[in-house]
Amino acid sequence: MADLTQTVLGVDWQSPVLLASGTCGYGEEYAELIPLDRIGGLVTKAVSLEPRMGNPPHRVAETPGGMINAIGLQNVGLSAFIRDKLPWLRENLSRARVLINVVGHTERDFVEVVAGLDDQSGFIGFEINVSCPNVKDGTLFGADPEALAKLVAALRLATERPLVVKLTPNVPDIGLYARICEQNGADGLSAINTFPGMLIDIDRRRPVIGNVSGGVSGPAILPMGVYLAWRARQATSLPIIGIGGIRSGSDALQYILAGATLIQVGTALFVDPQVAIQIHQEIDDYCERNRVTLRQLVGALEIPGDPA
Amino acid sequence: MSTPIRQWVEVRSIRQAAQETWWMVLHAPEIAAAAVPGQFLMVGLGLTQVGAPFLPRPFSVGWRDRATGSVGLLIREFGAGTRRLARLRHGDQLLLLGPLGRGFHIPADRPIVCVGGGVGLAPFLFLAAETRDSAAEVRLLYGERTAERVFDPALIAELTGVEPSVYTEDGSIGRHGLVLDGIDVSDDPVLLGCGPTLMLNALEKFARERGSDLQVSVEEHMGCGIGTCQGCVVRGVDDTWLKSCTEGPVFGAGELAWPI
Repeated sequence: MADLTQTVLGVDWQSPVLLASGTCGYGEEYAELIPLDRIGGLVTKAVSLEPRMGNPPHRVAETPGGMINAIGLQNVGLSAFIRDKLPWLRENLSRARVLINVVGHTERDFVEVVAGLDDQSGFIGFEINVSCPNVKDGTLFGADPEALAKLVAALRLATERPLVVKLTPNVPDIGLYARICEQNGADGLSAINTFPGMLIDIDRRRPVIGNVSGGVSGPAILPMGVYLAWRARQATSLPIIGIGGIRSGSDALQYILAGATLIQVGTALFVDPQVAIQIHQEIDDYCERNRVTLRQLVGALEIPGDPA
Repeated sequence: MSTPIRQWVEVRSIRQAAQETWWMVLHAPEIAAAAVPGQFLMVGLGLTQVGAPFLPRPFSVGWRDRATGSVGLLIREFGAGTRRLARLRHGDQLLLLGPLGRGFHIPADRPIVCVGGGVGLAPFLFLAAETRDSAAEVRLLYGERTAERVFDPALIAELTGVEPSVYTEDGSIGRHGLVLDGIDVSDDPVLLGCGPTLMLNALEKFARERGSDLQVSVEEHMGCGIGTCQGCVVRGVDDTWLKSCTEGPVFGAGELAWPI
């Protein structure tokens, strides 16, 4: 077994593989299918201050090499999350790390959710969702430099726990947003959220997705995700969690070589719940074969012609 | 509900049962042993390929044989994903997750009328085969648009031991008309429905007007099959969204907001 351990966001990780927000519920749903305590951890479904209903169906559809979704952040809300969901995570996970994904309509919403969770146990920190393309105001913060700066600064005052900001790919320069997060006190970045997209049923001449548009994920977006994670890496020294289209160890290693310390697997879980364990094993095999530790691989991309 | 099983399984046989319609038998002993009528499986080709079907597709358990560890699926070609599945052959591998969801609630002391439209027939093949000895009486009504689409009635009888009443909209085989025309509620049966949305809406109206008990199996685009992605919702009677994967796919008609 190779050494895949790291210290990131102030805690030790036994594996770089996390389950992505929105694809693993609140952990419990996959407990019988995935040995969660053998992977790095998971990011919960988004938690908002009040419960959200979500969008009308269809909410998901297959696209070439992936899928499109517009769930609309349906979730139980802060109080029910603390009462019904967090205890399971606290009592059943010992080695897997938990980040709570947080979403809000306003800066105050975000702050109240983070503040409301801060003194609870069962998780290490927050992933701030400023990049959901499937609700009206989903990228209000993620694509507005000033609003993002204010939000991250306000959240920094609300918690000392790790704050990871999940970036949208739908901006001209992701590096700008990465730097804003760093300057205002974020501890890490998740790169990237889904790409906005649309699918049309030509027989009915209607959008397939009830919300009209949605977020595109899956293997089709892998090269864009790797590129944007690499761009974010150039712009900041914050740890980066690579996400977008990962379905194998070699996909994950592309993100890691580009500079990600951790990775998230999402859509691929729907195809095969065992993929998270398989990715961990394939990274392990690669490190064994190349006689390296995971830490030595992070950002180890070599670009011919670049001065070393 | 039992723990879902994730398993690569082998196609034992596949035969064409009607136009663009296939009967596939898989070797899946654990799933065969655990399934109850109305439950479904997520059926896919795994992650080594990204062509359709990339996401697994939900299929009703269409039949099972515990002795041989077999599970039957009724596959109709609707798009590129189901076309690919229909081209699989003996010995090919499929990735299954299941059995999933809530099945039909089958009373022991009342007649059961199964109303299947198109591939909505599938759960009733399983249900009729399982309950013919225990239920008071199982009647199987099956509707299609045209004769070419009708799943071989002899195979239905062989799988279930029940002779189906077949209806076609053009009258080219079986009785002429809609499957609803054949429902007799005089002995206060429990109605079970599975099929196109238009049929389910008509069936719900029919049942409501006659005060009959009705359960329906719904279909919605699905992501995970186990309740995490919340992709497969249908509208509940109290205006909340219900997940067809874990809260369904079988619902009492009174749980849903009609028309669906």
